[in-house]
Amino acid sequence: LSSLPLQILLYVNGVYYIFYFLATLAMIIYKSQVFSYPDDFLAPDLAVLFLMAFLEVPRLYLGFKGNLTEAEAPLGLSLGLTAGSVVLCVYLLLWQTYVLRADVLLNAVLLSAYGLESALKVTAIAAFVS
Amino acid sequence: ICRGDSQLCRQKAAVYSLDVEANPPERIFKLIDQVNPSIFCIHATNYKQALYLKSPEIPTPENFDRLLDKFGGATFSAEPDSWNLDMDAQNPSDANETYRYEYGAPVQTEDAFLRLPSPVVSSWCSDANPAGFLVNQATKCIRSVSVEKCDSIQALSMLFYINSSILASVFQVNITVQSIVVQSLNGMRTLLSRSDVLRLPMVLDGLCINAVLGVNYHITHTDTGEIIEAAAAFVLGAISKEALSIEQSFEISFTQKNTQPVPLSGNPGYVVGLPVRAGSRPQGYPFPAGFLFAALALSSNKHSQLTILQSTSTQDCLAAQGARAPVLFGYNMISGCKLRITAAMKCQPLAQTLLDVLKGQSFPEYVASFGNSQAQDVLDWVPITQLHISEQMMSITLQSSCQIPVSLGIEVKWAKYGSLVNPQARIVNVTATITTTTLKQLPSGKERIIPITSSVVFTDISSPAEPAYKAWPTINIKLPFDFFYPFV
Repeated sequence: LSSLPLQILLYVNGVYYIFYFLATLAMIIYKSQVFSYPDDFLAPDLAVLFLMAFLEVPRLYLGFKGNLTEAEAPLGLSLGLTAGSVVLCVYLLLWQTYVLRADVLLNAVLLSAYGLESALKVTAIAAFVS
Repeated sequence: ICRGDSQLCRQKAAVYSLDVEANPPERIFKLIDQVNPSIFCIHATNYKQALYLKSPEIPTPENFDRLLDKFGGATFSAEPDSWNLDMDAQNPSDANETYRYEYGAPVQTEDAFLRLPSPVVSSWCSDANPAGFLVNQATKCIRSVSVEKCDSIQALSMLFYINSSILASVFQVNITVQSIVVQSLNGMRTLLSRSDVLRLPMVLDGLCINAVLGVNYHITHTDTGEIIEAAAAFVLGAISKEALSIEQSFEISFTQKNTQPVPLSGNPGYVVGLPVRAGSRPQGYPFPAGFLFAALALSSNKHSQLTILQSTSTQDCLAAQGARAPVLFGYNMISGCKLRITAAMKCQPLAQTLLDVLKGQSFPEYVASFGNSQAQDVLDWVPITQLHISEQMMSITLQSSCQIPVSLGIEVKWAKYGSLVNPQARIVNVTATITTTTLKQLPSGKERIIPITSSVVFTDISSPAEPAYKAWPTINIKLPFDFFYPFV
């Protein structure tokens, strides 16, 4: 049986991620105007943000598909992509050039969402395999 | 309270307060943690240089020369490479295009810019001042010299100023020597008859002769901004042994080809305070075959300006030597004199004399509507309307008795023309009104004094400005024709 909490969480994650992406991009632009943000520090931050957005789309799609078709392979792949997203999220939380308080809040929420999702995915895979 | 960068989320702050209750009052020092409530405060940075100012480079034996080049002069610009040396980097495709200059653009020569040495920070000459196109300048500066090194100082020789050729149009314009004036030690100047011989400085009898004391550049250009001719007039002089410095003066003036070098009264609108330009049509030229105005050479030439009577100290009209004052744009003037009439004066010659006194020897017929109107442009010149008004309203006695002019009033109506942000003054209408009065015959022996006045009034008849607004953008929404498929 498909896991309903996982489905809800994936949907909410998708919506939240759009807000998160726009807010982080706006804050990077704000930081580049207000603080001294040379180009070789701006480039890695922007690259990480865009890479994370790029990974998020297949991750969510695979999660939806795996959960609804009760197949473990897409869910497993989604779990792997989640691990990558977690690393990038931690970078934006700790190793960004300027970490604002708003950055901390957004990334903490996203990280907790990822953690909860991973736990639900593991239980779903366990349910589908058996 | 004393704290660091206020953008940080948490920072240590030192709080100093005064405890007035203790005796004697003591200063209390506390170290607190101040929290910034903003959501956009900096929680952490991984970029250590963000929070501190950049420390300047400490000179070491290795970088000293480089730092001295960059910062050693009296001034240093933010872009040191935009100038002098790097002409090879300029794209060679420019050589085929016509070289058009805009107002203020530096006049370029093959190696750098046309130099007009001028004082920069102090009175010492700096050779790095470029001449701007159409910017007439005159500068004076001091150069340090010594008689022994007279032939090695470049700025004292004529070659330095005419060596480079100006980049203009397809070819280059060489600077020709227009005239050479030699100034002796006691200040007497002589114009040399031959100006094609190059006279270089040399030491003679303990003096350094042929040293350049002044250069006057005359550049001729077309109305599209291309330079076609350049000439330089030199003043050469001698430097004595004791002199440690000499004063050099430089001037540059731009003239448009085929026009007389009349100083403009505005470009194009009249500038307040500059003389109103006027002229008259010479005899024999039929209208509207074109105008040519006589003798428009110098600004002090009375033939090219509108003038009014200038009051003298004696205030006697008949004794006035014909002193006239030029009418300056925007300045209302009034002047006059007193006329002493005796019984023996005849009417007609008196009336004619007064007319000459009021109007002057050559009263113009036309006034330029713009400050830079050329004589060839017929439509740019406004005719002066002449009116005659009689003071007495009695019409019957007008013809028989004697009418003498007593006042001349020139009313110049001008309007603002052009854009709202940069309106130009343009003369629209000029009316010269002569008021006459009857001269009653005096019993013999008696005298009368009547005042004669002339005035100039400038009236602004600009219509109120109507700003033009951009049209509202039209929203053009059209749905594709099969939008409501399959319902339609």
